[in-house]
Amino acid sequence: MSSSDTTRDPFLALIEAYALGALDADERASVEAHLAAGCVGCAQSLAQARSIVSQLAYLAPEAQPTEMLRGRLLKAVRDDAATGKAPAPAQKAIPFWMWAGAAAALLLALYNLYEYQSTRKAIGQAQAALDAQIQLQRQAAQELLAARREALILTDPGSVRIAMPAGKAGLPELQATWHAALGIVISGENLPVPGGQRTLQLWLIPKAAGANPIPSLNVRPESDGRFHLLVEQPPGQPGDTKLLAITEEPRGGSEQPTTAPIWVGAVEGK
Amino acid sequence: MSPDAALIERLRQRDVCAFEELYDRHSRIVYGLVLRILQQASTAEEVVQDIFLQLWRNARHYDGARGPFLPWLLTLARNRALDQLRLKSERQRRREAQSEQLPAAAGARPDFEGNLDDQRRAARVRELMSALKPQQKSAIELAYFEGLSHSEIATRLGEPLGTVKSWIRNGLLKLKEGLEATA
Repeated sequence: MSSSDTTRDPFLALIEAYALGALDADERASVEAHLAAGCVGCAQSLAQARSIVSQLAYLAPEAQPTEMLRGRLLKAVRDDAATGKAPAPAQKAIPFWMWAGAAAALLLALYNLYEYQSTRKAIGQAQAALDAQIQLQRQAAQELLAARREALILTDPGSVRIAMPAGKAGLPELQATWHAALGIVISGENLPVPGGQRTLQLWLIPKAAGANPIPSLNVRPESDGRFHLLVEQPPGQPGDTKLLAITEEPRGGSEQPTTAPIWVGAVEGK
Repeated sequence: MSPDAALIERLRQRDVCAFEELYDRHSRIVYGLVLRILQQASTAEEVVQDIFLQLWRNARHYDGARGPFLPWLLTLARNRALDQLRLKSERQRRREAQSEQLPAAAGARPDFEGNLDDQRRAARVRELMSALKPQQKSAIELAYFEGLSHSEIATRLGEPLGTVKSWIRNGLLKLKEGLEATA
C-alpha cells in the first residue's frame, strides 16, 4: 500500500487498525459504513490485514490445556454424534473448579460468619472489660478527689472543728470538720450498726429561731463500726448553723427527723 | 488441500476423529492465546471449550476459499477471549458487533500455512515484532491482547494519540512486509 493509495482512499489508512480492533468507536463506524458501501480495495486490504493480525497470536507462548478439558470436549462431541443433535449448551460441563469455587465460597462464608460472631463476641467482651476499666478509673479518680478534698477540709486552718458527743451512754463521740467552701467531714469508730435498713442522717440546725432542721446526707456505718461521711455541698454555711445533729432514720433518709438526735455538736464559727 | 481443510471437510460430516485431530493440532496455540489474554487458567479453559464446541456445531460457517483455517480459528479465539475479558472488566463494548458472529476468513492467502509450519511462522512473527521499537510493540500488543483502542493505548502509554496510531499502523505494515518476504 503506497501513500498515493491512502491519499486516494483515506479509509485504507485505517484498515490495519480496524483489523486489529484498535479503532475508536467513531472511526470504526465510518470504516464499517465504507466497507458496507462495497469498497473492493478496502475489502482486499482488510483480508490481508486480518491475516497479519491473526498471526500476532504467535506472540503468546503455547500452553497445554488439561486432559480434563479434552475429555469433556470429546465426550460432548461423541454424545452429540451419537444422537445426531448439536451439543446442547447444557452439555457444557460445569468445571470442577467452579464446584470447588462454590464450595470454597460457602466454606468461606461460613467461616466469615463464625469469624464475625467470634469477633463480635470478642469485641463485646473487650468493650465490657474496657467499660469496667473506665468505671474503675472514674471511681478511683472520684475517690482520689474525695480524699484530697477531705485532706484539705481536715488540714485547712479555716475549717471549723466540731465535737459531736453521743446523747446515749456507751456510744463513741464523732468528730466533724466543716470547711465553708469544701464541705463537712464526719468520722467515728465503734458505732453500733442500725437494725434493718435504717441509716444515720445528718441534720443542720439553723441559728434562725423556729427554723426546721435542714436534712443532709445519710449513711450506714461499716459492719466493723467505722463511720465516715463526706458532705461536699452542705445545705448551709457554718455561720448560719447552730448545731450538727445525727439521727437514725429509715432507709433513704427523711425530710424531717423522725427520732431524737443521737449525736449533736455545736458549730462555733471562727 | 491443506491438512486443516481436509479435517474441516470431515468435520462437516460430523466425524468425531476429525474433531479430535483438529483439537490436538491447535488446542495448544488456541489455549496459549486465550490464556495470554485472560491470564487465568480456569477461565481460559472454559473459553477454549466454548470455541471448540462452536467449531463442532458451526463448521459449515468456515469458508476455506476465503482463507486458511488456523488464522480464522485464532481470530475466533481472540474475539471470544476478549469478550470474556470485557465481561470481567466491563471495558467498553467496542468490539461487540464483531465478536457476536464467527469471524470472516482471516486472510486472502490460501497458500500461507502451506509455506511455513507453525513453529517457523511463530518464530518469524516474534522476530519481526522484536525488531520494532519497544513502544511500538507494546502498542500493538495492548491492542491485540487487551483489546484496547487507540485512545486507550495513548492514555495507557502516556503518548499522543497520533503517535500511537502511527506506531500501530507502521508496525503492522512492517510485519506484513516481513511475512510476505518470508513466505
